[in-house]
Amino acid sequence: MSRERILAAARAALGRSGNPDAGAIRAEAARLVAGADRGRPPRSGTLTERFIERLTDPKVGGTVEQVASLSGLPGAVRAYLFTHNLPASIALPPDPALTALDWAGIATHHRIATDEPVAVGLAACGIAESGSLVFHSAPTAPTLHNFLPLHHIVALDTAKLLEWLEDYATGPACGGRAQPRNVNIVTGASGTTDIEGRLVRGAHGPGFLHVVLFAGG
Amino acid sequence: MRANQPNFAARVDAALASPTLKTAIDRTTGTAERNRARAVAAWPDFQAARDLGRDIRAHVVNNIDHYLVEFERNALATGAKVHWASTSEDACRIVVEICRAAEAKSVTRSKSMLGEEIGLPHALEAAGITRVETDLAEHIIQLAGDPPSHIVWPALHKTREQVKELFAASHRDPGAMEDVESMVQAARRELRAKFMAADVGISGANFLVADTGAVCTVTNEGNAELTTTPPRVHIVTAGIEKLVPSTTHAMALLRLLVRSATGAELTQYTTFHTGPKQPGDLDGPDEFHIVLVDNGRTNMLADGLAEMLRCIRCGACLNHCVVYRNIGGHAYGGTYPGPMGSVLTPALDGLPAARDLAHACTLNGSCQEVCPVRIPLPTLLRGWRDRSWREGLEPSSVRTALGLWKFVATRPWLYRLATAAAVRGMRLFAKRGWIEAMPLAGGWTRHRGLPAPSGGTFMQQYQAQKRKAR
Repeated sequence: MSRERILAAARAALGRSGNPDAGAIRAEAARLVAGADRGRPPRSGTLTERFIERLTDPKVGGTVEQVASLSGLPGAVRAYLFTHNLPASIALPPDPALTALDWAGIATHHRIATDEPVAVGLAACGIAESGSLVFHSAPTAPTLHNFLPLHHIVALDTAKLLEWLEDYATGPACGGRAQPRNVNIVTGASGTTDIEGRLVRGAHGPGFLHVVLFAGG
Repeated sequence: MRANQPNFAARVDAALASPTLKTAIDRTTGTAERNRARAVAAWPDFQAARDLGRDIRAHVVNNIDHYLVEFERNALATGAKVHWASTSEDACRIVVEICRAAEAKSVTRSKSMLGEEIGLPHALEAAGITRVETDLAEHIIQLAGDPPSHIVWPALHKTREQVKELFAASHRDPGAMEDVESMVQAARRELRAKFMAADVGISGANFLVADTGAVCTVTNEGNAELTTTPPRVHIVTAGIEKLVPSTTHAMALLRLLVRSATGAELTQYTTFHTGPKQPGDLDGPDEFHIVLVDNGRTNMLADGLAEMLRCIRCGACLNHCVVYRNIGGHAYGGTYPGPMGSVLTPALDGLPAARDLAHACTLNGSCQEVCPVRIPLPTLLRGWRDRSWREGLEPSSVRTALGLWKFVATRPWLYRLATAAAVRGMRLFAKRGWIEAMPLAGGWTRHRGLPAPSGGTFMQQYQAQKRKAR
């Protein structure tokens, strides 16, 4: 009832007599975003340099290190836990790419606790423009792993770095039935400015975000 | 949510008399203004991006019937349930019915101005459902029993000392709270278990993506995803104007939204929610409901306010408004304060109740200069003034005063005489360049000084310049 009322009111206000021309509307929408550089911020440096520069900007608050390949991830995690005086126990999503690694010396578990100290994950891709990580929910990638831990350590394949936000939007993972239930675009550590405008980290999501870049190829 | 005093002038008086409000407003809006300026300065083509933002939003508003149907079709295909609500009452009834069907005792909510607009907090309480606000600012004002005073920072009227008192009185484990950091930690501890225990999570939507049926939310805290992931049911309440054609269009608008709101390039968490839990998913809701709310929006489209439907709720117009920065959000009396609120509230609550808001504006144009989608806010405000005059809503004192002003202003010799006398008269009351008290100016000088005229009248200065030029 409300549906018909709202659509009729919208059509009357727009002065439509018949059904809207879907093809013409789609063409106009596509034209708006067709100009390659229309509405995009400036850029400099290589893709990886741009990603690192954005991620480590104080406003974003991420930290980063580079390893040769994904097999270097457990070593980087061990060093991180040691440096930050954290227990040798991590939440790890049931992703075969991660579980197959050699986690000797670190206890791993799939079920994440409400106040988990450390979780380690694998990003689906990265976006250089904003220093963002993209996560897709899946049986091997639960959403809560990205939000419950205090420290979030994320591996990212540099071959999966994209230039612009739109490059992700028009890529194969976005749109159609292939779209995962949740696409989480994570840009740095959780923060809030809700008390007197002061930036404080670790509001509800991770207070620390550490990215381990590797060359997957 | 409505402020306590029924009348605008009384609410403004109360705001101006507050010893802490101006400081509290300045701390947050001042930071936001500086950060936005820095972000815009780093992007030489920002004006072109604003043009694109305006064009995308105008395209959606002009084809809103098409995009509503497309969004519905694609959302249904993802397994979402789509509900339509003409009024705020319809919307609240739908949400409460979904909660009752889910036998919900506890509901977590991620900040949504649409939720405030339709009175959802009150409707949930009336239905006996425990409501947990999860955005830090919403948590603060829920404890205080206050309405929001800003669309991005709803608790900006609270000082840290006031927040500490609220947390100390209500949190199970508040700790010492010696600084803002430890207050944020106290809220994190307090809300953690509540996120996981909720039966239903309710969020708003920053964008509804027509070609995928996805709902986009943005937060910096991460509370939206902790609200929408653990419970069995996720309900989205969204205004029908939130549509975008595709994810690509959403990305172009996200760049503008975040820079204009906080000066960051992107919010910490930007999430596209598409339907319920998929086969094999280890978390996520079993049911995903989207409530599309009109509540006056199609009327705005018919009544010459289509441009206002472009608004993406960044709050930049509030942060740059000299009136907002003096009186704060509660004085406006509606859900939405500042310039955008002064245009929206008469459309939502009716012009007779909100007539004063169109006058709470100096027409300095700052709001229009910073609006990421180029809404001509001063023009729309003048439209409400005009309509209020034509509908006879202006009180007789205003009509008489304007009649008098017209009589003087249409006789240049009299106007010059009157302004010259006023300048001389005002100087009699000035001390060191400021007027602290003067007959007929009590409304101004009660709470702040009035600058004394430094030179002569405009015409006197103009004539002097001309003489010099000769």
